[in-house]
Amino acid sequence: MNPLRRFLRTPEAVAGVVLLGALIAMALIAPLLFPGDPQAIAGPALLPPFNDWSLPLGTDRLGRDVLAELFHGARTSLAVGLAAAAAALAIGSVVGTLAGFAGGLVDEVLMRITDAFQTVPSFLLALAFVSVVGPSLGVVVAAIALGTWTGPARIARAEVLSIRERDYVASARAIGMHPLEIAFREVLPNALPPVLAMSSVIVAAAILTEAALSFLGLGDPNRVTWGGMIAEGRAVLRTAPFLSIVPGIALVLTVLGVYLTGEGIVETTAVRRGLS
Amino acid sequence: MTVLASIRDLTVTYRRDGSEVAALKGISLDIMVGDCLAIIGESGSGKSTLALAIAGLLPASARIKGSVAWSWLSSGAEAPPSVLPDISPARGEIAPSSALSPITYIAEGEPSEKQPISPLAGEMSGRTEGGVTERQPFKSEPSKIPLGGRDIGFIFQDPSASLDPVMPIGKQIAEVARTHLGLSWPQAYAKAKTLLERVRLPDPDSALHAFPHQLSGGQKQRAVIAAAIAAGPKLLIADEATSALDTIVQAEIVALIRRLVTEDGMTLLFISHDIALAAELAERIAVFRHGQLVELGTTAQIVGAPTQAYTRALLDAHIGLDAEPLLNQAGLHA
Amino acid sequence: MVSNLTRRYRRGGKTINAVDDVSFTIEPGETLALAGPSGSGKSTIARLVLRLIEPDAGGIEFEGNDFLALGSAALRAQRARLQMVFQDPLAAFNPRATVARVLDDPLRIHGIASRAERPRRVAALLERVGLSADLAPRAIHEISGGQRQRVAIARAIATKPSLIVLDEAVSALDVSVRGQILELLLDLQRQERIAYLFISHDLGVVRAVAHRVILLDAGRIAESGDARDVIDAPQSAIGKALVAAAPRLNRTRSLGRP
Repeated sequence: MNPLRRFLRTPEAVAGVVLLGALIAMALIAPLLFPGDPQAIAGPALLPPFNDWSLPLGTDRLGRDVLAELFHGARTSLAVGLAAAAAALAIGSVVGTLAGFAGGLVDEVLMRITDAFQTVPSFLLALAFVSVVGPSLGVVVAAIALGTWTGPARIARAEVLSIRERDYVASARAIGMHPLEIAFREVLPNALPPVLAMSSVIVAAAILTEAALSFLGLGDPNRVTWGGMIAEGRAVLRTAPFLSIVPGIALVLTVLGVYLTGEGIVETTAVRRGLS
Repeated sequence: MTVLASIRDLTVTYRRDGSEVAALKGISLDIMVGDCLAIIGESGSGKSTLALAIAGLLPASARIKGSVAWSWLSSGAEAPPSVLPDISPARGEIAPSSALSPITYIAEGEPSEKQPISPLAGEMSGRTEGGVTERQPFKSEPSKIPLGGRDIGFIFQDPSASLDPVMPIGKQIAEVARTHLGLSWPQAYAKAKTLLERVRLPDPDSALHAFPHQLSGGQKQRAVIAAAIAAGPKLLIADEATSALDTIVQAEIVALIRRLVTEDGMTLLFISHDIALAAELAERIAVFRHGQLVELGTTAQIVGAPTQAYTRALLDAHIGLDAEPLLNQAGLHA
Repeated sequence: MVSNLTRRYRRGGKTINAVDDVSFTIEPGETLALAGPSGSGKSTIARLVLRLIEPDAGGIEFEGNDFLALGSAALRAQRARLQMVFQDPLAAFNPRATVARVLDDPLRIHGIASRAERPRRVAALLERVGLSADLAPRAIHEISGGQRQRVAIARAIATKPSLIVLDEAVSALDVSVRGQILELLLDLQRQERIAYLFISHDLGVVRAVAHRVILLDAGRIAESGDARDVIDAPQSAIGKALVAAAPRLNRTRSLGRP
């Protein structure tokens, strides 16, 4: 059976894809639906939702359109989440593969560096990094990746340690393949599935970290972020709770969508691997 | 001669990638009490599926048609081994089905009970995983089905996979005795020690407390056999039990199985790909290919006068110590 | 030529000689069998000869050169002359590989054929081992065990080696396939004068295909000589035990029984 159809058979995958699809659609159509600066003032301040159909979700303390902010915020969340996770996975799998495959001193040095990163709480690391370098989208991505690559690195290394003892690695050596080619062509692709299985958790965590950084005012100031919106709403939490609740719900649904999609992919690939 | 189990029109299909693969196609076979029957075949012949089907260990994803009827449970479910008739060397014909005692157990359709084996593992023959004692038979009337571990002892190919790596050998064997014979722990341990002596493990006292990784492959398989016979099963199924072992250890394990089967009056089902090994142990041989029973007869008939071309081909493919060398010695200087 | 090869393992404070002072030579076009019970050091010797693991002592001379003195680049180049076929063909290939890629690798690595010419060479290799060239795009896990072992042999002969180590190469195969693979190996040996280091626990097969045999016991050579002489009349204790343990299929005796 075709993997896509099997994937769509699992209910969690369908739910995840629907949520994630909605998020991606929001991110894509944001500039079409809400051209111009979402941070511009659009109406009276603190307009409650469902009162004015040109501003369906109302406005915030400065009179900015909450719906427009929500749509543009999806762009930031998605971009930062995916970019940070991709960077973390890439760094992690390369470091893990090199450490596991080379062994000896290389392994020792790389793993002690990994330890050093792991002993610092990843959020503090990101916080410190952004505070020093200054907030911008790239820096936020780097800061989040800096704190999350250690998990994939450890998993990749453990996988590689078992794979490098397999016959097909011995067989690749026996035909005279270069060690780097063995590491990245024979070993890494087979070590990836468990690492990729982590990716949904990493993306979800990256989105939350980004939101937390923005909440603390360390996000890119030129972009709307959900974390920033929640922080904005905090001051008027009693009088206008919707300002915090709306981006909060968006955040929960996004993380849920990412996580369910990941679960679905893991499920599908697990079945496929079990059958082969 | 009494029929122990009567298999009729047994068809087992596995679902794989949406399509169905028949592992067994309409097999009818009688296993006699005290039988020493070898099932031989190459990969894909369905021989392991047959073993699992008889033991009721097929994964939930398998679809089963036909019946496996047991006779021993009709008259006193706990018949001690001593009442079994003597093993007579003169057997070999398939018994007429009229000799069958009242059918007490028929499996129809799919096993509906929760299986400890995941459906993912269904494609594997099953011999590489799971414990000897932990599998569940088909759902049926609980008192009338043969119970894995109590009525049927199962020896898998890979002893490391059959043993719990973090539990001492003695406890794993004692657990079987305790579960099925209702012994107390001290009694069960005493029983385990006796069993380890019976399977000739060197130093049974320390083996009781040893963990599987401390034993060699052959010793582990001896421990697995001890666990398999702990509850005094009437039927012992050995599924490629010696294939992972080297020749010398294999010969020892085969000798051990032969001795235990004779001493306890057990019925033996010996599954193997090796026709020579099967011929050394079994009184009857059933040759399987592509899920079908090709030929069934006494060992002498099968080995000496096979009627089927496939059986002959299997015999011809055996390279014994007396085989004509394939090597052309001429032209070599060595 | 292999001399005084030793490989030690340290386990639980004890030092175990997996291979203990083993010396032998293999002539071009010859099959030398290594037989013995498990743990006798057969597979360790195979990996030592290929320098997949390094010996603790001893020397290996291959085609007149000190094989152990080769640096990593020179060793990789030399590997073209010295190949290996593993027991389990499924485990010996990258699970993601296709037949074409598996055969393309040695041709590419050793610069044997240009990129444009390689597909033709792959097809020729497949035909050489009795497979259809149509098999090339198939994934390794899609083909049968016997076909896989033929692909493994095709990969081994791709670089025109003078020695192939066969580590239990036919032990996992069905008997009907085993005979064909042995025929193929002998045919290749006759045509290309390839030497085989044939590792097996099955004395019947060893006797049928090997010129000479070395019987190993606990890492040491127990007995060696002409394969038929040694197996027909073993002198060492391990030799006698191995011969006694081999299952026999006495078809005439069986016929005589009722």
